[in-house]
Amino acid sequence: MFLLEHDGKSLLARCGLPVAAGVLLDTADFDPSLLPTGPWMVKAQVAAGGRGKAGLVRAADDLAAVRRCMADMLGATHRSMIVRSCRVETRVAQAHEAYLSFTLDAQAAAVRVMLAADGGVDIEAQAQVAGAVRSLVLAPEADALDAGIARLVDGLSPRLSAALGDAARRLARVFVDEDLTLLEINPLFVLVDGTWLAGDARIVTDDNASYRQAGLRALIDDRAVAYPEAWRKEHHGCDYVVVDPQGDIGLLTTGAGLSMMLIDEMRAAGLRPHNFLDVRTGGLRGDPTRLVDVLRWISEGPRVKVLLVNIFAGITDLGEFSNLLLEALSRVPQFKVPVVARLVGTRVDAARTVLAARGIALHTSLDEALAQVRVHLAEGVPA
Amino acid sequence: MIDPGVDRNTPVLVQGITGRAGRMHARRMRDYGTRIVAGVSPRAEVADVDGVPVYATCAEAVAATGATASVLLVGAAQLADAVAEAVAAGIRLVVTPTEGMPVHDALRTRRLVQAAGVTWIGASTPGMAVAGEVKLGFLPEASLLPGPLGLMSKSGTLSYESGYRLTAAGVGTSVWIGVGGDPVKGTRFAELVPFYAAHAGTEALLIVGEIGGSEEEEFAQALIEHAFAKPVFALIAGRSSPEGITMGHAGALVHGRHGSYAAKAEALERAGVTVCGSLDEMTRAVSAWHAARA
Repeated sequence: MFLLEHDGKSLLARCGLPVAAGVLLDTADFDPSLLPTGPWMVKAQVAAGGRGKAGLVRAADDLAAVRRCMADMLGATHRSMIVRSCRVETRVAQAHEAYLSFTLDAQAAAVRVMLAADGGVDIEAQAQVAGAVRSLVLAPEADALDAGIARLVDGLSPRLSAALGDAARRLARVFVDEDLTLLEINPLFVLVDGTWLAGDARIVTDDNASYRQAGLRALIDDRAVAYPEAWRKEHHGCDYVVVDPQGDIGLLTTGAGLSMMLIDEMRAAGLRPHNFLDVRTGGLRGDPTRLVDVLRWISEGPRVKVLLVNIFAGITDLGEFSNLLLEALSRVPQFKVPVVARLVGTRVDAARTVLAARGIALHTSLDEALAQVRVHLAEGVPA
Repeated sequence: MIDPGVDRNTPVLVQGITGRAGRMHARRMRDYGTRIVAGVSPRAEVADVDGVPVYATCAEAVAATGATASVLLVGAAQLADAVAEAVAAGIRLVVTPTEGMPVHDALRTRRLVQAAGVTWIGASTPGMAVAGEVKLGFLPEASLLPGPLGLMSKSGTLSYESGYRLTAAGVGTSVWIGVGGDPVKGTRFAELVPFYAAHAGTEALLIVGEIGGSEEEEFAQALIEHAFAKPVFALIAGRSSPEGITMGHAGALVHGRHGSYAAKAEALERAGVTVCGSLDEMTRAVSAWHAARA
């Protein structure tokens, strides 16, 4: 998952790496004793780039200015995400700004390290200058990373070479040991005394590695509101994303690709699906709990008027699934919308019998099911 | 070269055969025609599963049966070690349906199989099949009709739906390979271009892709480099997905233009691929090619 800057910097600090002192605040009416030493930078916490250019990273010289900046930023929308908190941190003065990033090169099966002696907000412009961004793909072992990093900083000024070499070697350890898939520090401040610290942190963690990353699990639990998708996956074993809060069609679907495609096609046809879901029918194991949770989440969509169930499963017993679905529906009585079911797989006849007992018709063609969805939507509209 | 070539004579091992999934899929694969010769499980008390002999290690299983391919039905945390064990035992093709393999494990495993010259299909895949003959994994039979169309896919379910509609339209598949939905994987679309170019039973190719990563773009480049002469169709999921949020598959994540639908569709069209906007459009386009072929 894409970490908010504050959480990224907390991760770096936990690993012993230098970051500016800072605090996460969610109201402009905060206790001033919480602030680190000023003057400050006030930085809106949204998991997207381009904050500086959008006025969501601002300098503040006194307490009143910090409160003003926060009042402006909280509740603002950036790339369709709402700013719910700000990190206020000690401003770094008189520093050189460099760029350093670690990503995975899936084709080469290697770690790609990119370094620019001159970083900052205009890194995209720098990238156009030949030779300004140095890049190497390296094997993920410590020796290979260290040797490659030595080549990468070769030829820089002695101060930059020493500082960026130290930063890169230590960040490379964090990248591998913490199971990260993106670690980008821009700007990376190099101070006049030759020390460095991370001015920003763009970090993507590997949720699949949460079983061996206690820090990541703790973060997901502490900040469920900031990372709802990761929290649901960690605790419910399925992927659920609200794609349109005003959508009127709830989706109970399995399989990432088919669920995405269904949403694409519905939108192209002028329909408004409320959510993406990969429920993973193979993981239900005869227990309706996950379906109950999912139905509760969908029922929270204020405009959802119909539920479309689309399951194409090679191995799932559809008769068993249908019983679980009816059990789950009965446990979420507040969710009173018509259900359209489209099921393909083993024991579809058993499923048809089970669902018919509750007045739910089973379709095997997706187009027919969508036509039925439209009928229900039209019924929901007053004449 | 990546070589996923298998047929009904290929001797296949199932690692994790005593587990719930291993037992079920070993039986289903055998019922379909796959020559399952052995299972591997550390549970020493189990001598056989439905008549398939069970060994404690891959090395013993390979020595006793000559297995050359392995299907791994083990947990995500054990997967990297299990693949390494198969490779060390001399297995040449490994298929790993397991979901949830950590990305750094996949990176190291990809390096390992490349160094050994082993073909790895997965992770997070329903597997592969030669329709009507053999399957490694659990592609659904309702979608498997023998025919001339090569099929490779990131998504299991979207490929099931595609195969199901094509089957209903009378279009069957030759070799179907689920490369899987993880960002780092054993075999990428582009790496299978030489195989499908050389495969006599394949007359056209369908790729079922999705947003995220750069595989579709690499695949388009590989088609040009290999002067791939067979018709190619593509269906790409996630056109309307939000940026910055992982859509079910760990690999399905868009950052800006990187990994976006537009970037993929453009690259594929430049390489002469027929990019289809919906399942229906894909079914019609592939059926039209099928009907018109000599």
